[in-house]
Order: sequence, then structure tokens, then C-alpha cells
Amino acid sequence: MNSSPFVEMECCQITKDGQSACGDDFQWERDESENRHIAVLSDGLGSGIKANLLANMTTTMALKFMHSDADILQSAETIMDSLPVCEVRKISYATFTIVDMLAGSGRTRVIEMGNPGYIQLRGTREIPPFSRRTLVSKNWPDREMTVSELQMTLGDRLIFCSDGVTQAGLGQPHCKFGWRREGCMEFARKLIEDTPDISARELSRTIAFNALSINKGRRCVDDTSCAVIYLRNPRKLRVITGPPFHKEDDAKFAAMAADRDYTVIICGGTTSNIIQRELHTRVEIDLAQVKYAGGLPPPGEMAGVGMVTEGILTLTRVAALLESHSLEDAPLAAHKILDRFDESDVIEFIVGTKVNEAHQDPSLPVDLEIRRNIVKKLKDLLINEYRKKVTIQYI
Amino acid sequence: MAEKIKLEICCGTTCFMLGAAEIMQLATNMPPDLDGHVEVTGLACMNACLNENLGHSPFVRIDGKLIGNATVEMVCDELRKRLNGGGDNE
Repeated sequence: MNSSPFVEMECCQITKDGQSACGDDFQWERDESENRHIAVLSDGLGSGIKANLLANMTTTMALKFMHSDADILQSAETIMDSLPVCEVRKISYATFTIVDMLAGSGRTRVIEMGNPGYIQLRGTREIPPFSRRTLVSKNWPDREMTVSELQMTLGDRLIFCSDGVTQAGLGQPHCKFGWRREGCMEFARKLIEDTPDISARELSRTIAFNALSINKGRRCVDDTSCAVIYLRNPRKLRVITGPPFHKEDDAKFAAMAADRDYTVIICGGTTSNIIQRELHTRVEIDLAQVKYAGGLPPPGEMAGVGMVTEGILTLTRVAALLESHSLEDAPLAAHKILDRFDESDVIEFIVGTKVNEAHQDPSLPVDLEIRRNIVKKLKDLLINEYRKKVTIQYI
Repeated sequence: MAEKIKLEICCGTTCFMLGAAEIMQLATNMPPDLDGHVEVTGLACMNACLNENLGHSPFVRIDGKLIGNATVEMVCDELRKRLNGGGDNE
């Protein structure tokens, strides 16, 4: 197995119609020192805030227990004992799927209680676990748990979902018993056959929204979550911003933009000028789309290199959009950068540290953020909220 | 048809904030008398703002001639001058 496949982990969630909160919860944790990835999906009893609370308590506790390598059965008992009892149904309940993966070796453990069974696909082939056992708690004899041990390898995908997916379309003439796990798996296989490199993000979204389309009137009748883990060769993005501190580094700096292993974005006018000059290329900025520019300078293309945008204002807006998790009214340049972030697993910022004298102009109507601060903020957001691997190199 | 007049607008941070954003609107909103006679493109920062002798942001270039302190009116006037056979070439 490749020593460092990237673990792309995505979950698409759709909230039941009429509810303000999703009754499913998905949480994850990455321990860089062990290259260990833990993900938990829980479906709380009922829907709305109450279900959300149950699911959230379950994912939070499960993540902590797994991380501290606590005994599985004891952990599950603690979770079930802790959940508040539903006044209507007189039971406490939240299902869960826990995935604990050591990405270096591919050894993975999946612990399931009540959720639809996970699917492991190698290409389009389903891979069974090499061992599976059942655990039953004395205190909760009706809550069986299965623990599956499996081997993930580069290119494998793990799909797990809430019953909003597998029970989609229940009672409809064409699927009386719902979409079921098999229907979902066949759909995923077809998608992978058509698009072998389909990302975890795209696959999870397509499955979740297809489940919705099976429901009568395309209504979301139950909280619907689909999580996908994909072990892939990382898609690498390099964001180059700011001129180098020493002019002697210009050539080395420009060579970084020419590296074919990376998708490249250049953020900054002076930066792009240096790269244009060193690589003997040029930037084209099409003003035809200026109506979508939305208060930011429009993006351009540097022949043979990649996208070019303005620097500080654009990156500041990108950080704000990342923070708000919304693309609403996103200016074109920021939208394009966010799209490229989405399509990347590993993001490397190359930050030139020379101060731009033009930014010190006292007639500027607003204070410009300091480049290093924005990039640092972007890094934190991309790691903590978007599960990306991010590095910053100053030059 | 005669060759179009080339209008290039600096898209650098300083120019953009000091008025280039409005000038860029000419790309889709050219006055009727100039419409069809001008090719508008964006330009990565020319660093003109670092040279005090060249004027102040925002900067545009019309058929190669650099113009500082540019405004929409000034740019349109210059374009009209060129369209009517006036103006110089640098």
C-alpha cells in the first residue's frame, strides 16, 4: 500500500422537511501522529432538535471513547445509559456507525449499532470484512453491535449512511421496501463505473440526493445522511501569494508555479507579474464576466500555469466565505478559489513575505489585512472545518 | 472595420479599491457612441502605483498609453478623442 494515501472523508446531510435541525450527526477526528482517522455517524430517535441532541451526544461520546481506546462494549453501554429517555416512546435511542482507520496500514474497524450496514468497494467490487463479531450488552440485550475488521487499500471507498438513505421511497410501487442497502450499493457501483475517480464529496452528495429523488414528491421524509471515505492519491493544490522577500528567489519562486504535480492558483498582481516575467508567459483577464465579479477584481488565467486572482481582498473574502460555510453571493474569483479548495486534498500555501508598498497608500478606503494573518486563518479553517491537509511555506 | 481601441484596466488591489472597479463596468456597459469600437481587457498589476512620477491609482492603458488617476469620464473622453482621430500613440 502507498505509504501516504489521503483519506478523503465527506458526509452529505439533508434535514427532514419541516425541521430546523438534522436528527443525524456526523463527526470526525484525525490524529496526525498515528495517521488515524475516526468518524462517527449517528441517527437520533425521532427528528428535529431532540433527535439532533441524541445524535450529537452519541457522536461526541463515541469519538472520545474511540480516541482513548476504551472498551467498545463498555463505551456503548455508557452512551446508551447517558442518553435522555424520550417522553413519548419511553426509550433512549441513537444508532451509530463508527469507523476507526489507521491510514498507514489500512487496518480499519467498523462498529455498527442500528444503522444500515456499511459498504466497502474496491473499484466496483464489494469487499467483505476479514472478520466480524457480534457484541451484546447485558444491560441492553436488544441492542446488538457488530464489529467488523477490514483492510482498506489505496482506491477503496467506504460508504455508510443513515436509514433515510436505505428507506428512501418506502411503499412506492417501484420500491416497496425502500431503496435498501443493495439499491444504494448498485447506484454507487454505477457511479464509480462511470466516473472511477469520483470524489467522496461528489459520491456522498449524489447518493443522498438520489435517495431524496426516490421519495414521493422528492420530499425529505427522514433525515438523510451519507458518508463516504475514499483512500486516494491526494489531489494537490498550490496557492502562491505575495512576492518573495529576496529578489534572488524570484526564479525559484516562479518554478513552484510551474510544477505539474499541482493545480496552481496565483493570488496577487505583483506575484503574477514576477511569475509571468520568469516563465515568459502572460495573464489574460476576461472582463466579460465583470458582472459576476461581486466587488472583487475578476480572475484571470496565466497561460500554462493556472488561475490568477487579486491577492489580499480576494483571500480575505475567501476566508469569510469558508467561515460562513456559504457560497451565497460569492464573487467570481472567491467562488473559483473555493471550488478548487473543494477539489483538493492537500493545499500548500507559498507565501512571499515582501511588504507591498502600494498597500500602504494612505488614500486606501479600508485597512488591508496582513497577508500572513489571512493565510494562517485560511489554514486553520481548511484543517479544522474542511478536513484538508494544509502547509504554509514562507519565502 | 477599423481596428478597435485597446483599453486595459489594472486589476491590482490598490487600483481596484481606488476606482478601477467602476472603470471595469465599461466592459459590459460602454456608452453607445463608443460601443463596438473598444476592446476592454483586465491587466495584472503594472506596479505603476509604485512610481510617483506616473500619477496615482487607478491606472489604465489606452492603446499603450498609461493613464493615472483614471476615472470613467476621463477614460471615455480619451477613447472618444482616439475614435475621432485625435490622441497620441506611445
